[in-house]
Amino acid sequence: MRLLILLMALFIAAPAAAQAIGDKPVVFPARSTATTALDIHAATDLPAMEPLLRDFQQVAPDITINYFEYVTNDLYKAADEACRAGRLMGDILLSSSVDQLMKLANDGCAAAHRSPETECTARWANWRDEVFGFTYEPSIFVYDSRMVPPEDVPRSHADLAELLRRRIDFYRGRIGTYDIRLSGIGYLLAYSDARQTTTVYGRLLESMSRADVVTRCCNSEILELITGGQLYLGYNILGSYAYAAMLKNPHLRIVVPQDYTLVLRRGALISKDAPNLAAAKRFLDYLLSERGQRISREKAFFFAEDGPLPNGVDGPETLKESGVARPIRIGPSLLAAQDQQQRLRFIADWADVLFGSARRPGDRPK
Amino acid sequence: MTRNDSSLFTRLAVLVSLVLCVGATALASAAWYYARAAADDAYDRVLKGAALQMADSLTVDGGELIVDLPASAFELLGLAERDRLFYRIVDPEGKTLTGYADLASGSDLSAVRSDPVVQNGSYSGDPVRIVVVARAFSDPALSGWAHVIVAQTTEARRALAAELTTRAVLLVLIMSVMALAGTALAIRYALQPVWRLGAALNSRDSQDLKPIEVDMPREMRPFVGSINHFMGRLERRVSQLERFIADAAHQIRTPLTALTAQVDLLGHDRLGPEARQHLERVQQRAEELARLTNQLLSHAMVIHRADAVRLAPVNLVDIARRAFRAAVPITLSPDIIVSFEADESDPRVLGDAVSLREAIVNVIDNALRHGTLSRLEVKVSSQAGNAVIEVEDDGPGIPREAWESVTQRFATPKQNGGTAGLGFSIAAEVASAHGGTLGFRERNEHGFVVVLTLPLLTGEGD
Repeated sequence: MRLLILLMALFIAAPAAAQAIGDKPVVFPARSTATTALDIHAATDLPAMEPLLRDFQQVAPDITINYFEYVTNDLYKAADEACRAGRLMGDILLSSSVDQLMKLANDGCAAAHRSPETECTARWANWRDEVFGFTYEPSIFVYDSRMVPPEDVPRSHADLAELLRRRIDFYRGRIGTYDIRLSGIGYLLAYSDARQTTTVYGRLLESMSRADVVTRCCNSEILELITGGQLYLGYNILGSYAYAAMLKNPHLRIVVPQDYTLVLRRGALISKDAPNLAAAKRFLDYLLSERGQRISREKAFFFAEDGPLPNGVDGPETLKESGVARPIRIGPSLLAAQDQQQRLRFIADWADVLFGSARRPGDRPK
Repeated sequence: MTRNDSSLFTRLAVLVSLVLCVGATALASAAWYYARAAADDAYDRVLKGAALQMADSLTVDGGELIVDLPASAFELLGLAERDRLFYRIVDPEGKTLTGYADLASGSDLSAVRSDPVVQNGSYSGDPVRIVVVARAFSDPALSGWAHVIVAQTTEARRALAAELTTRAVLLVLIMSVMALAGTALAIRYALQPVWRLGAALNSRDSQDLKPIEVDMPREMRPFVGSINHFMGRLERRVSQLERFIADAAHQIRTPLTALTAQVDLLGHDRLGPEARQHLERVQQRAEELARLTNQLLSHAMVIHRADAVRLAPVNLVDIARRAFRAAVPITLSPDIIVSFEADESDPRVLGDAVSLREAIVNVIDNALRHGTLSRLEVKVSSQAGNAVIEVEDDGPGIPREAWESVTQRFATPKQNGGTAGLGFSIAAEVASAHGGTLGFRERNEHGFVVVLTLPLLTGEGD
């Protein structure tokens, strides 16, 4: 009885503890007594992951999950250092910045895993049976419908650049996006944008610079600012987080750009020499399994490769068939994005265009 | 030659399999070698292409070497889907600009100029294929050779090599199995004449020393020639021997007749009882000797005729009746009942009348001497395509185990003792020369029967 109360208490308390960063994990105790630990180091917002973690524990009641949350760059830095030093770091790494996971796998920091579930994964979402993509998340525009009039709603990247140019005074300081200096996924999306269309990307960057774009480390902060009314528009926001925010704040609206939409597969990787290898494999299999994918579509990440867009999202009926989806393929080409020099220069150029040399990351909007 | 490889087939099969095994192994090794080379070549092109693209992307800006790695180079390398890749870009001063600083080039960088250098190496414990590409810069601010080193793990090329090898080995195996099966068939076919020759020799009559006339391939002809030559010699020897025996028997006959006459002249009356007994024995032995001599002559004649006389259709009843008359002596005890019986089938056979008569005489004579106690019956009939002459007596008969031996020369039923004879031997000889047999029928309450079976003349010829 006492245990039940304790469990219930934890159940209620857990979401509140979601702010843990780095070495303070959120613990999801096992549902049964015989327990195996599973250390998940993730650059994924806990609220998104939580339904999956809880459902996994239904399937695997003997596993206690320790969830360590990071920002993408910090996760990569920690994992890379641990791998180079031969130290152990957790059992499984989750990150939206798959290029960083690719780099880790290429450097030999991953353990391969083959199972019926991994066999079913799309080729572009599985590298060497080491890096697996387990979600399907379009990068979208978010706007506050109270502030942005219907005729202003941008439906493509060019529209957005044009809008910022046309109504620069209205939107000055009201548009937010990733700070790619702080966010690995922000960098990956920007890099992929640049590779999609150089001219439109250049124009968009220039427009955002003139509109005094607000940059943040994380989607959640941008979404909070939009919810709070400080920002009107968000660019390169992951559809999953945005949809979760939209469910809570109905005045938020999501647009899936119709010229092209980058689609990201959030990556999972089992650490080499993971102490709880079996548990890690079970969790990975669960993520890739039909049940895991269903929970992911219904409760965690909302978008799926097959089937229509979720309700209330402005865009083509289905991403895959419309042809606008540009999946970021999990493969060696991501290593080009991870080249140190390339990355430094790309970020330097980005910062230069966006802020000139005067501004520093994290500047507040006026 | 040991018993194990006494089979030509086994020897050839083992030898050919051995050659095929060695050949298949050699081919498989060659296939593996070439598959590796081909896989290396294919993936080396990709590797070089990617490295050249990377080298091409290097630019000089304000005296600084700028690296703008093209994603297409990585995509190119990504064609080897499962392979990890490592790279290092070195500026003209030998400083690593970007990439994996601990990636060893495996060779002297300064030696690499315009041509890409590809070699094997290892990185972080895994075997890798390394390419080094150089690019010259002659900017006033920066001049010299910059190098791009790209390494890729070898999983894809090993997989390709393994696949190519497996396929080649499969082909070699199929080919080997086919060759082996073909060889087995060929050996069997080639050895067939040997079997035929063996069968021809085996099916021959033991007396038949005529040359073999089986169609033989060229390679077998010397062998057959030798056999025929040997048989010819043997035949000459045998006929010499037979002629000698016939001559000898003939020569013995004259003095023997004289001897018998002289013995008869001695007269019983003048002798004492003991001497008379001796004389009787001498007469008995002389008579046996005469008979034996006659049989020898008869045997020689039969054998000679078997080779020399053309067979003609003859009436067996006539021959048998004449033989019956000749064989049953006038002096036969009146207590013995003899009879001759022929059914109305009137059997005709293709044969030599003289030999046949001799054979029947000998069988009847044998029965009278060793079998008959009170009865002798001779029957001639036709049964199922054969003419059958049965000679039945009421004697003790010959036990089954002795049947085979009595048809050989100088063997007689033991119980009766007495002279060794050629009677059955002559009859058997004649029977086989006519394609028939000499057989016996087990003694029953009726009596013991000797059966001479001859094939009936078919087609009712002249």
